[in-house]
This record gives sequence, structure tokens and C-alpha cells, in this order.
Amino acid sequence: MTFQGYRRADGRVGVRNYLAVIPSVFCADKTVERIAAQLPGAVALRHPVGCAQVGLDLELTARTLIAMGRHPNVGAVLVVGLGCERFPPRELYEAVKASGKPAELLVIQEEGGVTATIRRGVELGGRLLAEVQSQRRVPCGVEELTVATKCGGTDATSGLAANPVVGSAMDRLVAAGGSAILSELNELLGTEQMLMRRAATPEVAEKIRDAIYEIEDLLQSSLDPSLGGSRNELISPGNFAGGVSSVVEKALGGVHKSGTSPIVDVLPYATAPEAGKRGLFLMDYESHDGEVVTGMIGCGAQMVAFTTGRGNPAGHPLAPVVKVTGNHKTLSHMRECFDFDASPVISDARSVDELGGELFAYLLRVAEGEQTAAERFGGDELFCIGRRHGCHRKDPAELRACHGE
Amino acid sequence: MLRKSMMIYPEDSVAMVLEDSKKGDVIQTPRGEVELLEDIEFAHKVAVAPLACGEPVIKYREEIGYMLKAVPAGTWIHNHNMGCDRGKVRGAKI
Repeated sequence: MTFQGYRRADGRVGVRNYLAVIPSVFCADKTVERIAAQLPGAVALRHPVGCAQVGLDLELTARTLIAMGRHPNVGAVLVVGLGCERFPPRELYEAVKASGKPAELLVIQEEGGVTATIRRGVELGGRLLAEVQSQRRVPCGVEELTVATKCGGTDATSGLAANPVVGSAMDRLVAAGGSAILSELNELLGTEQMLMRRAATPEVAEKIRDAIYEIEDLLQSSLDPSLGGSRNELISPGNFAGGVSSVVEKALGGVHKSGTSPIVDVLPYATAPEAGKRGLFLMDYESHDGEVVTGMIGCGAQMVAFTTGRGNPAGHPLAPVVKVTGNHKTLSHMRECFDFDASPVISDARSVDELGGELFAYLLRVAEGEQTAAERFGGDELFCIGRRHGCHRKDPAELRACHGE
Repeated sequence: MLRKSMMIYPEDSVAMVLEDSKKGDVIQTPRGEVELLEDIEFAHKVAVAPLACGEPVIKYREEIGYMLKAVPAGTWIHNHNMGCDRGKVRGAKI
């Protein structure tokens, strides 16, 4: 099975073909935005980090920005740094260049300010864009595709219709040799045993359990009994209003979006699988929509299947985000924000399997260039970089003991 | 009035109403007919059997929480009468 994609110098396959203008630090954000605004076909990866960070927090920033620059949906990269930041712009530039991709580097303190950097950026960017636009789609194997799965704005229809339909499409993708990623481990609480039974090996089963227990411990340590109201709720007011009553109920509905394939590995945030390993992966991270989607794109996902019962307009600057809903009321109320209707599962008009097949076919059309609702709006809110404050490394044995194991 | 509903598994202790429903409306479930004791919104849960205080609430054949008080069949089940400790400090009030 093949689709038309962009084959990159390092062999990876893209479904979009952007010039990415990437700030190495937030101080360069406006300069980057103004450069990209003058170059149709360029995207600006605005973010709030790159300095005043240490340890794993800084490492996640570096790893994510490098993964975005090397991402196969990106044809060329212009890195813009300030010059004194903790994440060196040259490190980002060199890492992108090493993938064989055309790249340029500008440093605001060296160029002599914003105006000079923008002028030079538009000039260099124009040349990079010409290179990007000379690239053509070629037939690529479906096994080169990785789809990230995510729920955002969940209601009780997500677990009944949208997530099972996405799961059915992911089963088809994995059966065709491709890959899917499930994450949001804080919203998988209560599904550990189910997921461990699906692990490809006993080692992967242990990784799944330890990762979920660690996230649960992190969640517990973040709650603050001195704060009242809804500050310590684990799911959103919209989830409650939509009929979801607990984090475990949300998890049991959410886990369906991964389908039924075996879990072949647990990936760290924004980290590619071992070479040649394909199938269903779990990424070790929590559920902030932007951070987790960006992390899975950093693992190599070229597209996102995003289920929402409440309705959600968000998109990612580098990857098409396909919005799937099982709620016919939300669909008719905000039609323009959706790409795929899974609600016929609830009205009993269509089966999960039938709609899963249609969604898989639609995902392949999106891979070949069909625009999603979020792309039509220019949605880029989901580009957020994962954060980790403090060093949270507990002995897995201690965490298992907390669960009576 | 008869309302559309869905039970994911016959072993579950809750069903979901598939339309906004009123007190006195009735749903058909694999566990028999249940009369709603209060208004229940689309996609929200209703107990299909009496549930005791502390009893696990079962949906998807799994425990999604436990009852904070005893209720008769037909009661709306949500976070006002169902608790769940996962992700929270055990024994704490949050």
C-alpha cells in the first residue's frame, strides 16, 4: 500500500513540505514570526522556552526543537537565535543540518538587531523556500506513516464512538506496517493491567506499568490541599459536563483510540523509536494537549488523530490534526471545526469497523495533502514544548509497593 | 416516555442515556426497564440497579469509581455521588 509523500535526504517521509523558522529561545519569537509572515509556505514555531532552564527541563526543550527541525514534514529550516541563550542556536542548526536538510542560522546579537535579522532572514528564507518548493511528492509505503492519537475536549461520546473508530483506523494502519502512538499516561490510570496484557514482551509490560505509576505519583505530588474549588480536579469541567465522572472512566474510554495492536515499546518524550521498530507505541508523558501532541510529533508522527466530543479548533504548525467526534450535537453546532463524523456509531446507523475503514482512507488522503479543518484556520496552538520541573526519579519498586504489588 | 440508552456491557452497573431525558422517562436495558428518578442529560450515566455506599461503579466492565452513598436504580451517577481515588493522595480530602 502506498501514498504520495515527500522523501527526505535521511530517508524519512513527510506528508507536508514546510520551511520551518525556529527560534532557539523565546527572545527571538517576534523576529521569527515577522520573517515567516513574509514567506508564504513558511511556518513560525513560536515557543516560550530556551533559556533559564536546567537539567531535564532544558534537555526536553533541546530535544523537541531538534526533533521539529529534523521532522520529515519540514523541507528546510531557518534557525534564529538571540546569542546568549542556554540552548545554543548553533546546536539546533548543526543537528538539523546533520539530517541532510537545507538549513541556515541567524543570530540577532550578531546581525545587529531585529530589523537586520528580518531583512537577512527573508533573503535566506526565500532561497530555502525555493529549494523546498522544488521537492515533489513520490510514492511512499504506508509503513512509513506514524499517526499520533489524542483526545481533547472529551465527553462520554468520545469513549463510545470517536475513540473506538480511531482505534479501528489505527489497527488498519499497524496491520499495513505503519505505526501509531498513544500517550497521556495520567489519563490511562486504571488501564495498566489491560495495557500490560497488550505488551509485545514482558519487559515492555514492566515499562508500561512503571511509566503509568510514575506519572500518577507525579500527579499526586502536584495536588495542593490548601487550594480549594476545582484546582485539584484531574479532569476538566467540560469532561464532567459531558458526562465523564472520573479520571478512570475517561481512561477506559480514551484507551480505545489505540485499537487492539500489541504495544511494541514505551518511548521517552520526543524520541524516535529504535531504527526499524514499527507498530503501536506508548509515549511516556502526561496530557497537556499541545505538549503531548508535540512530543508525539517529535517521536516521528506526521499526522494526529484527535478526538473531541466538546469541540476543539486547535492545530499544529507541522502536522495535520484530524478532528473526529462522536457527538452529533457538537458536530452540528460547530461543523467547521471537524473533519470526521463518528456519531453514526451511537445512532447505530454504522459500525465502528466500517467507520474505522473510512477514517483510515481519509487519513491517507490527508497524508497526500488534503487540508484539515485546523489547517484551513491556520491552527498552530498545539506546538508546545514539554516541561519537567525538579528531578522526579523514584525507584519503580517503591511505586509498585504503593499499589500493593 | 421511552428514551434511547446504551449499556456498553450487560455486566455494567450503569447505562448512558442517548438523549436529554426527564424524570419519569423510561429506558430499556439488558437488566430490565429502568425509570429515571431525575432529569439526565445526553451521554450521562444512570444506575441500572440499586448501588450500595462504597460499591464499585462498573462501566466498560471495569471499576470507574465507587459510590459515596447508597442510591436506587434510576439515579443519575456522576461526581456528586461517585468518588475515585486514582491520581490522588490516598486518604486525603482532594
